[in-house]
Amino acid sequence: MLQTTGHGSERKTSVTDPALKPRLRRRGAFEYLAWALCVLLGAGVLYSVSTNPNFQWGVVAKYFTEQTILNGLMLTIFLTVATMLLGTLLGLVLAIMRSSRIKPVALTAGVYLTLFRGTPVLVQLIFWFNIAALYPNLTLGIPFTDIGVPVDINTLMSPITAALVGLTLNEAAYMAEIIRGGFSAVGKGQIEAADSLGMGSWTKLRKVIIPQAMPSIIPATGNQFIGMFKETSLVSVLGVAELLQSAQLIYARTYETIPLLIVASLWYLVMTLVLSYPQSLLEKRYSRSTSRLPRKAKKAVLTEPEGIAR
Amino acid sequence: MSADGTIHARGIRKSFGPKTVLHEVDLDVACGEVCCIIGPSGSGKSTLLRCLNGLEEVDAGVLKVNGEDFGYYETPTAYHALGRKRLAQQRTRIGMVFQQFNLFPNMTAQENIMAGPVLVKGAEKRHAAEEAERLLASVGLRGFGHCYPAQLSGGQQQRVAIARSLAMDPQIMLFDEPTSALDPEKVGEVLAVMKDLAKKGMTMVVVTHEMGFAREVSDSLLFMDEGIVVERGDAREILANPKEARTQAFLERVL
Repeated sequence: MLQTTGHGSERKTSVTDPALKPRLRRRGAFEYLAWALCVLLGAGVLYSVSTNPNFQWGVVAKYFTEQTILNGLMLTIFLTVATMLLGTLLGLVLAIMRSSRIKPVALTAGVYLTLFRGTPVLVQLIFWFNIAALYPNLTLGIPFTDIGVPVDINTLMSPITAALVGLTLNEAAYMAEIIRGGFSAVGKGQIEAADSLGMGSWTKLRKVIIPQAMPSIIPATGNQFIGMFKETSLVSVLGVAELLQSAQLIYARTYETIPLLIVASLWYLVMTLVLSYPQSLLEKRYSRSTSRLPRKAKKAVLTEPEGIAR
Repeated sequence: MSADGTIHARGIRKSFGPKTVLHEVDLDVACGEVCCIIGPSGSGKSTLLRCLNGLEEVDAGVLKVNGEDFGYYETPTAYHALGRKRLAQQRTRIGMVFQQFNLFPNMTAQENIMAGPVLVKGAEKRHAAEEAERLLASVGLRGFGHCYPAQLSGGQQQRVAIARSLAMDPQIMLFDEPTSALDPEKVGEVLAVMKDLAKKGMTMVVVTHEMGFAREVSDSLLFMDEGIVVERGDAREILANPKEARTQAFLERVL
């Protein structure tokens, strides 16, 4: 029996119940050293950044909400959303084609993926912008007949169109691989079960494969989305007035290069942080072991006694 | 006479690459018959079963299920593969129960059972739901319709899987080691459902290691080893007095 329990209150506070004592984590010398170095480094960077006049924080503040910059931000957001939507749709088509049993279909998708993942997206963007050099006049119509509508590529391929086409076609290749990865995570048994019920390919895809592939596709797509937000800065080389190009347009006039690059960077950073929150929620939701249960699943309360088979 | 619920296979051959898994296997199952296939692992018994509903394609031989050529149509010179739609239609008349249940995890028990009738046969949802409730009750799971597979035990999942197959109103039920993935105490509840089904006159082909079930329920028995049928005949007779040495050796090991 413990002797401390019957004594006065001051004794009680000094000796806690052994069962309630907290267990403290061991901190090694390296941990203290890491903290010290980290704080020193942080203070040094902060001091330098705040005292170096070349950063021109006043200019940064002035341009941060400038209309040109905000217009650029809007265009960047539009490009991100549009290319992700179109890219995902095309990626889905490519993923389905890639896993087709019909050789030429699978092969076509394979060649597409190789081409678009094997060349830099910057090169692709410039290529699409200059496509008119290859095909000045394109005729949409039936091959080897006179039926068709002529299209002037030079006017069609404006910088924004080239940006949309280039980013979408490139993103589709990456989304195709993500979606195909999700498809292959669906067990063979699931497909056999659907087959043995006599489901057609389309029903099987819609009701069995896609719902089960989503948990691995959605978080990866979120990552792509965040990546695409920054990737759009590449289209500045085509003269599309997105966020980076808007900043460049201003500093070409005022020579305040660094502050305007900081303005653009801060916006990219803010938007990435804003997007990271839903992304981390998505990842958490789909990585939990209970994620095998769909969201609408009721808590398992099996109150009724288990029936005995007749 | 209707040939529904019958299987006639002659000289079924199947190989995976260089490895031949079925050498000229014959199989006859009459309507309402329960046929058990036993044998050591790798003997080709599961492959034979999977050939019966087209999960594996037969390389050669005659296969008639429910009285019609399965998966192919015959011309004087060859068998031609059927279109997907026609094959799917033939499959709807054959139920399949898997070792790993293979319930759709994204659907509730009720939705799993309704999947066939609604998505394949285009049945009316309300009607299919009532039918699902009735089937759940018949496998002893009344009121479990809203549960997802992950919330059910292995035995319960397998019973839902049986109900899912039955919802298509098949003439033949195929069982591929239906109790092998279950905890020992859950085996009985699944076998009980299968016995019930046999009693109602369903044609069943069962690949199993449950010799007790084979002895009690099945009419005929096939013992397979290395891709051939070593011994066939009355289930009780074979289990009591196996004639072939290989059958004797196998039964000695498992009984």
